[in-house]
Amino acid sequence: MNKKSRTRLLVATGVIVVVFVIAVVFLVQRQGAYYRQVADLTTGQYDGKNVKVGGRVVDGTIARDDDGVSFVIQDLTGKDATVEVTYDGQMPGTFEPGVDVVVIGQYASAAGVLTADELQTKCPSKYEGQASPAAQPGQ
Amino acid sequence: MIVLGRLSLTLALILALASIVFLALGMRGDRKDLLRNGYYAVYGFFLATVIASAVLLQAFLTGDFGFAYVAENSDSTLPAFYRVAGFWAGQQGSFLFWLLLVAIVAVVIAALDLTRVERLTAGAVMVICVVGAVFTALMVLDKGSNPFIAAEAGTQPFGLNPLLLHPGMVLHPPALFIGYVGLTVPFAFGISTLLLGRADKEWVRRSQKWAVAGWLFLTLGIGLGAWWAYVVLSFGGYWAWDPVENTSLVPWLTATALLHAFTLYKARGLFKRWALGLAAATFFLTILATWTTRTGLISSVHAFGRNDLLVLILSSLLVLTAVASAGLMAWRWRRFESHDEVESLLSRDFLYYLTNLLLTLFAAAVAIGTVAVPLLFERTVGASTYDVIAQPLGVVTLLLIAVCPLLAWRKTEGAPLRRTLILPAVTAALSVPLWLAMGFQSSIWGVLGLVVCGFAFGAVLQFVLRSARRAAGPGRSLWAGLGRAFTGSRTRTAAFVIHMGMVLVVAGLLGSALYKTESSALVSTKAGGEGSDLVTDDGSYTLKYTGMRSEPGSQSSQRTYAAFDVLHDQARVGTVEPHTDIYPVSGAAVRAVILGGWGHDLFVVADEPFDESSDSIALRVVTFPLIRFVWLGSILLCVGAVVSLWPRGRTQEQEARVTVPAPGAETDRATA
Repeated sequence: MNKKSRTRLLVATGVIVVVFVIAVVFLVQRQGAYYRQVADLTTGQYDGKNVKVGGRVVDGTIARDDDGVSFVIQDLTGKDATVEVTYDGQMPGTFEPGVDVVVIGQYASAAGVLTADELQTKCPSKYEGQASPAAQPGQ
Repeated sequence: MIVLGRLSLTLALILALASIVFLALGMRGDRKDLLRNGYYAVYGFFLATVIASAVLLQAFLTGDFGFAYVAENSDSTLPAFYRVAGFWAGQQGSFLFWLLLVAIVAVVIAALDLTRVERLTAGAVMVICVVGAVFTALMVLDKGSNPFIAAEAGTQPFGLNPLLLHPGMVLHPPALFIGYVGLTVPFAFGISTLLLGRADKEWVRRSQKWAVAGWLFLTLGIGLGAWWAYVVLSFGGYWAWDPVENTSLVPWLTATALLHAFTLYKARGLFKRWALGLAAATFFLTILATWTTRTGLISSVHAFGRNDLLVLILSSLLVLTAVASAGLMAWRWRRFESHDEVESLLSRDFLYYLTNLLLTLFAAAVAIGTVAVPLLFERTVGASTYDVIAQPLGVVTLLLIAVCPLLAWRKTEGAPLRRTLILPAVTAALSVPLWLAMGFQSSIWGVLGLVVCGFAFGAVLQFVLRSARRAAGPGRSLWAGLGRAFTGSRTRTAAFVIHMGMVLVVAGLLGSALYKTESSALVSTKAGGEGSDLVTDDGSYTLKYTGMRSEPGSQSSQRTYAAFDVLHDQARVGTVEPHTDIYPVSGAAVRAVILGGWGHDLFVVADEPFDESSDSIALRVVTFPLIRFVWLGSILLCVGAVVSLWPRGRTQEQEARVTVPAPGAETDRATA
């Protein structure tokens, strides 16, 4: 076995792996959103941080103007907490009052508003288990 | 009928276990009689699975809503095509479908080996049967995974989710499952060869076609899913880096690396451990994809549908796979040392290595970001983060794809290399004005990536030309050689097509992700009123509202169209009718329309549902540059894989024998 070529290969691999790992860890540290519930936001702990929150769109709170849309979502864990969300991107096709959505964005606790960068409704495929009572008869 | 379905599932479990026992004992004592009995048990396992599947299919076709699963995923108004799709529309049925595929693969491999009965193949069949047994056990033990459960009295058929009523979505899940099961085979042969300690290339030879087929269907499945998301889901894109999507991409990446490792394993005796590791990792990741989707631990914010027995069984399969593969590899580590070594950093060998390394790292990053970060750190990785990782990696990988086939094995000399790189350099240079003219200027990174696409385009052409020149030999026309270059080695022809497909896909992904433009406005629907049109932010498109109409849609829905005239630089280019479907039970959905073109697609959608009483429509117009290249490139990827699978005649077989030239021989020919 040629020792020199082997060392060279190992060094090249090592450099690539290390650079890659550092880049990924850095990105996740900086951009990774905390996965939280609506009720957790009110503690003030997440002021200005990236958060990902799931909630149900409250009926009658959807308001729209040329700058985008705002609506209120309700906590999904049974707690009586809500938060206002503003969003100006592409709306998912299945967005409507009462649907469960996931929003990712920055929370400002002074205004109590979550500015969303991403808005997703729950994937419509049944693979994730739909909330419909007819869909879960065995449980 | 429900009883018959259950009985056959139970029988399938017993027979799968029986075949595992026979095959294991036969492997240990090297006894052909036991191995053959094991194969017969596999036949029985297959038959039982077919009966169970037939029972469920029959229930869907006749609309037997006594099956809870049929009632959940079908109703009497559905056309037959979509009734069949109900089979795999939910968790229970897709497990059965998966099991059926596993049984088919097991029985085909066993049947082909019935006369010879070899330990290597028997071991692989045994591993496949273990996978089959786990899935059968899951269905038999877990109520939520069993399609043969009676519906409660008075259950109304729930129907198929309207968004799933699209050919792309009907074919997307089975394509993915076929891909996953195909990729089980290299893993099975890998485990078998490790058990036997056989470091020759026989296991690669026997599983390579399965791996290619698995890769083909996985590619097709991912492509169909993206197309469905783009045209039906209306979220304004084809890829959202959502966990379900990510977990199907990850095994695709490792499978791509696996195919390359196989090529070098066979040709040069290199990458032996890589091939074993990638085969195991790919299988592990296909199960991880199922685990992520089915257990709901990652994808849903609140884990409903979470089911402890399901989590337990699928997690056990994951642990078993990881422990068995790692343990066996550690045991046989020395035996699988490569025959050869990478001599120079400027060689095809090293670039193969680098490509595999990058694909694996990319797969690891996506898998960790999707599964480990949320589970361990309660944080999530967003689309923008994945984009930042994927775009540079995609471009660098494309560069490697471009250059790799142009380098010589072992070591490349500078002068011939410079000559081969002339054509790619020319196409790269020519692509610059093209990209700038198309308006791709804002992102340096994007322009750079697209220029790399131009370079890679030329490199693939050069790859074809060089093969043609070699095939023609001295004094014969290039055209004759071109024909022979394409009909010679299937693998090489596949590489031409697939590499060109990748060039198009990457160009399309970069163009549509980095240069998409979005404009939105509230458009008034009052007759002759102000503000009844939308002008895109760059001023190139104007959409003029012309009217609305309604008609009944599928599943007793009401569909309302809003019509717009589309003007591009003041000239009328067409009409678009984005629409809203309002369903009596499951609410409303807005549907986008796409005005397609090679330069870009114009994607028009309403931001919220509307009907004829609406005063205004929240209209959104998105342009996706070069997106057609994604679809065209994906088709090429599949075509290339089909080419590679195409059976070849005897003469071609001989021609295609891979011969490894002595050091320097290849570079001599490159200068010719």
